[in-house]
Amino acid sequence: MNYVPGTSSLIEDIDKKHLVLLRDGRTLIGYLRSIDQFANLVFHQTVERIHVGKKFGDIPRGIFIVRGENVVLLGEIDVDRPCDTVLQQVSIEEILEEQRLEQQAKQETEKVKMQVLKDRGLSIPKADNLDEY
Amino acid sequence: MLPLSLLKTAQNHPMLVELKNGETYNGHLVSCDNWMNINLREVICTSRDGDKFWRMPECYIRGSTIKYLRIPDEIIDMVKEEVVSKGRGRGGAQQNKQQGKGRGGTGRGLFGGRGRGMTGPGRGQQQQQQQQQDKKPGKPQGIKNQH
Repeated sequence: MNYVPGTSSLIEDIDKKHLVLLRDGRTLIGYLRSIDQFANLVFHQTVERIHVGKKFGDIPRGIFIVRGENVVLLGEIDVDRPCDTVLQQVSIEEILEEQRLEQQAKQETEKVKMQVLKDRGLSIPKADNLDEY
Repeated sequence: MLPLSLLKTAQNHPMLVELKNGETYNGHLVSCDNWMNINLREVICTSRDGDKFWRMPECYIRGSTIKYLRIPDEIIDMVKEEVVSKGRGRGGAQQNKQQGKGRGGTGRGLFGGRGRGMTGPGRGQQQQQQQQQDKKPGKPQGIKNQH
């Protein structure tokens, strides 16, 4: 396999369908239209995919210019390959509701954890500002 | 079309900018630079949780704080048009030149004739052309196109 340094290896990926994971945990799926030396990416016909448990939902988002620093991973999606997945696609409303419930549950457990730590005289900084990197 | 050129094309259009801290800014792009620093006009800022809003007539955003920008779908069409219209202008001359050479003898006279004086694309030109080929790095591409 021939290796080219830096983002130039992405040139052959242009106009193919890709999935990108951002540092804030979001997943975008769309056609990669353009790149530059900073791995800034342009996506076309993008959807934001939300996963909760075994359900997922796609929200149409249009064109994205993603600043390269925020990318965790980028991978091509094989559109010809039939997807054999246990995941089940649901409507936008349903997935948003599922996401809301999941976040709520997370906050609850976090609260309990904090309380337990506090009772033992410990404290960990709030994970509130995690993505203000 | 590089991501930053696309952003430049999107000037005077509405867009959504999300910062790394999760705040979003909705407004019309006034200007941008090579560092992705941008100026917006008629801005609505939304807090991370989407529960607080601020309106401001204009704002400046430092490029390094941006997570992503969302631009309207029309911009891609504008890019296509721009590429076509530019193709007829200065940049296009060079394109045509390469294409012309690739096609062989027929298209050569139009733009390829530049810089070789007033002579036409006759057989006598071949040696001179060979010299020019050696100078131009773009030439091998033209040859490749021929096949």
